[in-house]
This record gives sequence, C-alpha cells and structure tokens, in this order.
Amino acid sequence: MLARITDRLLGRGEAAVTVPPFDGALKPNQHLEDAAVFAELPDLEDLASDGRELFAAQRTQILRLTGGPPTMHARFDQPITAFCLLADGGMAVALGGRRVEIVGGAGDGYVCEAANGVPFNAINALAATAAGTVLATDGSRTQPYANWCHDLMLRGRSGRVIALDPGRGQPRELARGLAYAFGACQSAEGDIWVCESWRHRLVTVEREAAGKAVLDALPVYPSRLAPATGGGFWLTAFTARTQLVEFVLRETAYRRRMMKEIEPQYWIAPKLSSGHTFLEPMQGAHIKTMGILKPWAPPVSYGLVIRLAADGSPLYSLHSRTGGRNHGVVAAVECAGHLYVLTKGNERILRLPIAEIEAELNQ
Amino acid sequence: MSDTLLKLRYRYWPDHLLGEILSKRWTETAIPVFVLIVVALVFSRAIPGFLAPASLGDTARQFGEIGFVTFGMALVILVGGIDLSVGSMFALTNFCALFCLNILNWPVPLVIVATLVAGALLGAVNGILIGYLRLRAFITTLITLIIYRALYDILILEHSNQIAAAFPDTPLWNFMGGGDVFGVPSDALLYAALAIFGHIFLTRLRPGWHISAIGGSRRSAYNSGIPVRSVIARCYVASGVLTAIGALFFAARLGTVGGDIGTGLEVTVLTAAILGGISLGGGKGSVVKAMVGTLIVLLITNGLTTLSAPGGVTRMVLATILVLAAVIDIRWLKNRHRIISKVYVSPTYHGMPALPSTAADSGTPFAQNDRLRRATAIGVGRIEAPEDVILDRNDYLYAGSRQGDIIRFFPPDYERMEVYAHIGGSPLGMAFDRKDNLYVCVGGMGLYRITPDRHVEKATDETNRSLTSVTDDSRLRLADDLDIADDGRIFFSEATVRYEMHEWPVDGLEARGNGRIICYDPATKTTHTALKGLKFPNGICIAKNGQSLFFAETWGCTVKRYWFAGPKKGQVETVLDNLPGYPDNINLASDGNYWLAMVGMRCPALDLAWRMPGFRRRMAKRLPVDEWLFPNINTGCVIKFDDEGRVLDSLWDLGGVNHPMITSMREHRGHLYLGGILNNRIGRYALPDADPTFVQYDVRWGKQH
Repeated sequence: MLARITDRLLGRGEAAVTVPPFDGALKPNQHLEDAAVFAELPDLEDLASDGRELFAAQRTQILRLTGGPPTMHARFDQPITAFCLLADGGMAVALGGRRVEIVGGAGDGYVCEAANGVPFNAINALAATAAGTVLATDGSRTQPYANWCHDLMLRGRSGRVIALDPGRGQPRELARGLAYAFGACQSAEGDIWVCESWRHRLVTVEREAAGKAVLDALPVYPSRLAPATGGGFWLTAFTARTQLVEFVLRETAYRRRMMKEIEPQYWIAPKLSSGHTFLEPMQGAHIKTMGILKPWAPPVSYGLVIRLAADGSPLYSLHSRTGGRNHGVVAAVECAGHLYVLTKGNERILRLPIAEIEAELNQ
Repeated sequence: MSDTLLKLRYRYWPDHLLGEILSKRWTETAIPVFVLIVVALVFSRAIPGFLAPASLGDTARQFGEIGFVTFGMALVILVGGIDLSVGSMFALTNFCALFCLNILNWPVPLVIVATLVAGALLGAVNGILIGYLRLRAFITTLITLIIYRALYDILILEHSNQIAAAFPDTPLWNFMGGGDVFGVPSDALLYAALAIFGHIFLTRLRPGWHISAIGGSRRSAYNSGIPVRSVIARCYVASGVLTAIGALFFAARLGTVGGDIGTGLEVTVLTAAILGGISLGGGKGSVVKAMVGTLIVLLITNGLTTLSAPGGVTRMVLATILVLAAVIDIRWLKNRHRIISKVYVSPTYHGMPALPSTAADSGTPFAQNDRLRRATAIGVGRIEAPEDVILDRNDYLYAGSRQGDIIRFFPPDYERMEVYAHIGGSPLGMAFDRKDNLYVCVGGMGLYRITPDRHVEKATDETNRSLTSVTDDSRLRLADDLDIADDGRIFFSEATVRYEMHEWPVDGLEARGNGRIICYDPATKTTHTALKGLKFPNGICIAKNGQSLFFAETWGCTVKRYWFAGPKKGQVETVLDNLPGYPDNINLASDGNYWLAMVGMRCPALDLAWRMPGFRRRMAKRLPVDEWLFPNINTGCVIKFDDEGRVLDSLWDLGGVNHPMITSMREHRGHLYLGGILNNRIGRYALPDADPTFVQYDVRWGKQH
C-alpha cells in the first residue's frame, strides 16, 4: 500500500513509464516500409493462406487474391472480423465479432455465438489447431471489435481464448481475464499461445488463465500469429508503445476527460496510422527539423512483423518506422515462399520474398 | 466547478516561486540560519536568561575570538583545503603575545605586530608545504598540529611561571581584553569590520573570486591563468594571521598559557564552518555562513556548559553535528540541481474556448487550402533556421540563421548568398529604422543593430529589474520580434524570462505569462519594460495609426493591441481571440491590412492538458522532453487580418511538405516571403492581387506611397 503510494509519487515500479527499446532481434530496419505493394484495397481485416492461395477478408466478403485480379470467394451478411482456413478444406469466419460460422469441410454449417454462457463480443482472430479445433480470441467483453482503443484506454482486461470444436462438442473457454486477447496459436509442443496485447506479451494458456510468458516486455502491442514454414510463427504487432501513452494510461483523470471531451482519432493513444492532421497530438521528437522527421521519434503508429522460432524466441523482425506509411500490421501469412503482410493502417497488402530478406538480414 | 477552483488556485498560488527561490544561492544560507534560530529558542527555553544582554555580551566576546579562527578555516576550506593546525597555532600565538608583553615588556602595538607576524609565519609553513610543494592539506596540517603543539609544550615548561607572575596594565591591552563600546565587546567590533571587509573581498574583489575559483576547480583556475600555488599559500598565511588575531584577544582577556589552550579548537571551528554551509569540497562558502556556523556552535557549547554537561558530552555533541552537517553538505551539493529542476517547472491553468474549425468545408476564413504548396524555395539546405525574413528597397533578402549570421540573398533569383553580418546568438525578428539600420532581436543576447555599412552594434541587452520578481529579470533572455514607432522608439517582445531560448517547450508546458514587451529608446539609450505577464509574446507590428502596436501571444492564441501613445495610452485590447493556432510574427500587407504567421496549430489533446496543470507537471517529471505532448508546430499557415480584428484570409501548406512551420512572412513587391525557425529554406509565394511595388519599410517611413 505504502509502496504503491511512493511509487505513484516518484514514478517507480507500477507507475514507471519506461518502454523497452527495439533491440536484439527487434533491431529496426525498413524492410516493411520498402516492401513491394501486392494489393491496395480498402477495409481489409484479415489474411489467410493454405500455402498455395491467398485469401483476404474485406467487409462482408472473402476475396481470393492469387492468380489475377481479386475475385469473391464467399459472402456473408455481416462484416468479417477474422477468418482462418481449416485443414479439411473448410473455413471459419467471425462475423461482427459476435458469431463464428464454419463454411465447407466437415463442420459446414456450424454456428457458435457464446462460450461458457457469455456471448461473443469482439472475436478478432481465429486459428486452426492440429486436432481440428478452432482457437478464437475474444478481445473484450465490453467494447466492440472496432473500439479496441477504448478498451485500452479503459484498461480493459476482459479478453478470453475459446476453443471451438465443430461437430464434436461445446466451445471451451481456455482462458479469461486477459488484457485484450488478440491472436492465438498452437505451439509445436501443443501448448496454446495467446497474445495479451495490453500487457505486451505472448503467453501460454494454463488453467483458464494466462500462464508463463513466451515473449515478454515487448515494445509493441502484439496481434495475430500465423505459422511459418520450417517451424515457428509470424507475429504481427498492430502498433507500438510510447512513454506518453504509458503515462496517460496511469493518468486516470486526464484519460477520463479525454475520452469524454475529445474525438477518438485525436486521443493520446496508439493508432494504426498517424500523421493525417495537425489535430492529432504531437510529441517533442515529432517536430520536423530542417525538413526531417526522425525515424526514432516516439511511434504513434508502427509497422512490425516478428519471426518467432518454434520455442517462441524472436529471430528477426521487419519494420516500418516513424514517418513511414506501412503501419498497423494486423496479419501476416506465408504463401509460396513469400510473406504477405496486411497493413490495416494504410489499407495495403505487402509482399516480401522471405529467402531474400533472411539472406540480407543474416549478412 | 472544479475547473473554476483549479483556475483560482493556479491564479493566486505562486507555484513558480519555489523553484526560483531554491535556485537562489542565499537559500543555502537560509538553512543554517533556521538551525541557529531553533538552537537559540531551545536553549532560551531551557536556560533562563540565556539570551539576556549580559549573557549575550559574554557570548559575543567569545564569538569574536573563535570567529576570527573560523574565518581563517573558512578561507582555507574555500580554496579547497583544510587547516587542522589552527588549535596549535592559537596556543603558540597566544604564548607569543604574552611572552612579548609580560617577559620582553614590549609596548602593546609592537606585541600585536609581533604576534600577527608569528601567526603569518606559522601559517606560511603550511602554505609553502601545501601551496608550493603540493602536499596533502590534511596530512600537512595534522603534522604541523603536532609539531606546533609540541613546541608550545616545550615553551610553556620554561616560561609559564614567568608569564603568570606578570600583570601588565596598559589601557589598550585592557580594552582588548574586556572593553566595549556601547556594550559591544572590543573584539566583536573588529570582527564586524572584518566580516564586512571579508564579504566584499570574497564577493566583489578579484582575489576573492580567485579563491572560490581554485576551490571550485583547481585545474580550470590554473588554465584560466590564476596563480594557484601562491593564492593557496596566501590563504594558509591568512588563516595563521586570523588565528593570531583571535589569540591576541584571548590573551588580553585571560592572560594564561595553560596546557589545554587551543586543544580541540580545530574541531569546534571545523564544525562551525561546515554547519554554516561552507562546503568541504571547496569553492562554496561565504562570510555569513561562517558567522552563522560559529554562532550555532557557540550557543550549543555555552548552553551545554550552563546546563553543566561534562566537557566530553559537549565534544560528542559537536562531533555528531559535524558528521551530520558533512553528510547533508555532500548530499545537498550532489542533489541540489536535481531538486531544483524537479520543482522549477510549474505548469499553470490555461483554459481556452472550444477550438474553432479549420476544416476545408467549414466556411470560416481559416478553411484549409494548399495555396502555399505553390511557394518556391530559396536557399534549400543552405540556410538554417531563418526565423524572420526582411527585404530592402533594392530587393536584397535578409534572414537570420542559427549560426548567428545575418544571411543576404541577391536578387533577382536569390540563388547567390553571402554572410551580411555575424552577430552570434540566434537572430530572430528584424526591422529597418528610418536611417536603414537593421535592428535584430537576438535570442540569448538582446537587441542588436547592423548599420548600413555592416557594423554590428549592441542596442540593449538589459531592462529595468522588476521589484517583485525573485530572480533577476533585468537581462534579456529571449528577445523575439520588434517594430519601430514613429518617434524611433523600438518595441520588442521577450518571449519568456524564466527559460532560455532552447527551452521554449518548457515555457509552453508551463503556459504561464512569463513574457514581456520592452521598449528601447535610441535617443536616450534607455530600456524599460512596457508590459509584463504575457503568454509567450512573439510578433510585434506598429499599427497604421502610429499610436499602438499589435502583438501576438503564442501560447495565449491571441493577438492584442497595446496603445503606447495617444488618448488610450497604456491600454491593452484583444484584437483576435481563440485562434485555431499559435500566432507568431505580424507584418504590414500592401492593402493596409496585416499578415500574421501561425507557427503551429492547436490540437484538442493539448488544449485539455493546458486545463490540467497537475497532469503536465507529472508529465514534465516522468517523461523526457522528446516524449512530451507538444504544441503542433509541424503545420502552420499565414492569415490576414484588419484593424478591427476581422480575419480576411488564410494561406496553408497542408501536410507541411515545403514549409512545415511558418514563423514569419514579409510582403515585398507582390510576393510573400516565408521564414520558419526550424526550416532549411525560405519560401516565396506570388500573391495574385498584391501591389507589385510595395516595400514595407519604405511605406512605413513615408519614402513610398
């Protein structure tokens, strides 16, 4: 109690607003910023691939993107917030964040809208496991899918991971009380890993809660995961942390008034893209001096994909830094030797040759 | 409701004074003075008559004797050393005085001279060993302490009986020992005189400064050409002489040569010096500190003696105090600037009305456009930080640079450039006077003038000191922009008196009225402050009527008019209120209106933070400046307004591609020239329907119509 008061007074412990540096495997580069643009489409939400073909969710439809111009693969009655491909040729789709449907394959026609008696609210990622179940992350029980920033600013911790078992059993709640669950996967050992965005970490799921951290103290807010060839995963981060946001998260009075009096796009908060208007808050290092914006200035929005080894340790990363455009990465999938990255911040899909980049990074 | 309370609390409670008071050097003396008062109060309650005049007179007499020795010690500590031998020197010089008087029967004046010379010689031994041979002060004076004491013991064995037998009776000697003037003891009088001289010596005279400089940093002092060795040696000599003075009065009062005279004196005196706040590290100290420290020690010693505490207890108390004072001294020295920097920044409440819309479809005069995209760039990458630009009748373009130069570009294409004059500092606002002198406000320096034949002259760098401010605000820290009245008086703004130029973000974080408008009269060469308490006053422009001037308050987001002549003299009126951005320089337009540069635009998050001072104070403490919430100065615009305060037009470069920030603009022959303090270029924008012959300062001085 006393420690908490002195911490708050002196800015130590819980009240410290330090953010870890981009270091080691996270050493910045501009690979994501310099990547080739594969497609530019508005309102994209998610990507998936079966290794041969690339699919993307755009509003209410699933698009097939390989082989010529985009064609419609499936259409639904509600906006898609996440989808994944299943091993048996089916496809799991989250609609409006509140319903998961399965189309095609063995589980065709399966619909699920609640788990453990609590209705879905913000399903933001789906992933298939080897056993045929589907992992779903429900970001928040209070804020809808689009209002992820509200959830952060309200210091939400009501995210959960659900295992759906089409055709065989009831959905199971694997973990609850997560500070925004966004993206899950099954590791090589069979553990369930989930991104707990507001705690900046990737954790294992143990006994219906967050267990030990696979990847901790990230300088970013992690999001969806996708398997990589040769073992391991691609971990995306939809935005980065700044000391100012960390500070605002500890300033309850300011945060409350900001949420009440200011339009969300002008909040002091992480964003998928930034620099559109002078009404956005500006920080000291953001001043253009002699016509230059420093790339190491605090990232209001950021683009990052991290390549994880099979044990979850980071191997290398691809960046688009402050002042860049390819920000707000929410999905990265591998398809035929290339990495396809969805940058929601500027509504693009980027295409990166994996072998070339790895060769360059290993030099 | 709570907003109103907050507003009142920040308006009437002067938060900023704490930091200003703490950064004053005299606050270091204030703490010992406080201790002194507490000690005096405690003992006067415990001992009746402790502070009665008779008792005080007695204390004052001892105070004088020890006080001289403390001065010597203070001097030596100040120069970066220590003198442990003062106790033995005290005993020896006491012996010398009594020997000369009682045994040799010399006249008193000769005795005084002889004793002082003896003190000087004893001190000189220390001085030569430490100053010239560069031995350690601690070891050297410890050795002389033992040697002098041994010498004293040998001498008193032979002569103590003779001395005790004699009873000299001379008026001067008696006056020294027990006389007073209006109740003030003789030695206290001399002590007072010496204290006044010592204060002047240490703070106002060159040798005194040399002593502090050596104590502060011996190497730097040596590199500055100070004769380090001889100054140090002389300090030890002075310590010997001052000890001898104390011993003279002691000898006159008691006339004994007991074996314990002067033992433990070095601890008493050292405690007094450290307790007074004279830093053991050297370089920091004053006469007042030495006096206060001596008084505290004396009161404690006398108080404990009166309470009949054993001598051991008194010494134990003194030693404990010495340790405590030394610890506080070291911790304070180490953390002083950190404490000050934590409390100096004191944000205040700054509420503004709702942000007016600047949306392209808002239909307001501020509606965004990208007309300035068409501006061409002059000197890209060759000029850095042209805050203001100005042109003369021959179309030469002048601009300041962060290197402290005034750069001149040559017409007609402005490709060729030269350094017109070098001033130094950061040249900001500029104006031509009637005789074509170019007046320049220089951040960090003041107001300067460049004559037509390129001579740089200082116009002024100080104004009258305000009576109510804690810090000395007479020097100009951030002269920003200026204009010249018909009678030749120059009005210029000083953006802030609390921060240096590069610290402008801190001033923005405070959002306090720290700025002022100053008037310099070249006819009388006098400077005075015309207006105070302005929120970062920036641009200045004399209005067309010649009796008033417009000035922009950057953090206030207002443009005001100040009447310096005529029937409304002294009044301030608001002309433009609640601007959507931060106004900067103001200049005349060819159609009789005024151009106003907006260096940046307001954003809702900062507007809210400006209403929450506590949030900003914590932000300043917890975050590095690079992470602070800033006024957005990456996008700016130029607006035009008229005498009645109507905004007529605005010119924008959205996204800040060419001119991220605009701090100034100057209309000249159908073009608008744009300056920006963080830009590497000057902009040139063709005005579609402007007077193609307009030259601002020719129109201003009636040379063009």
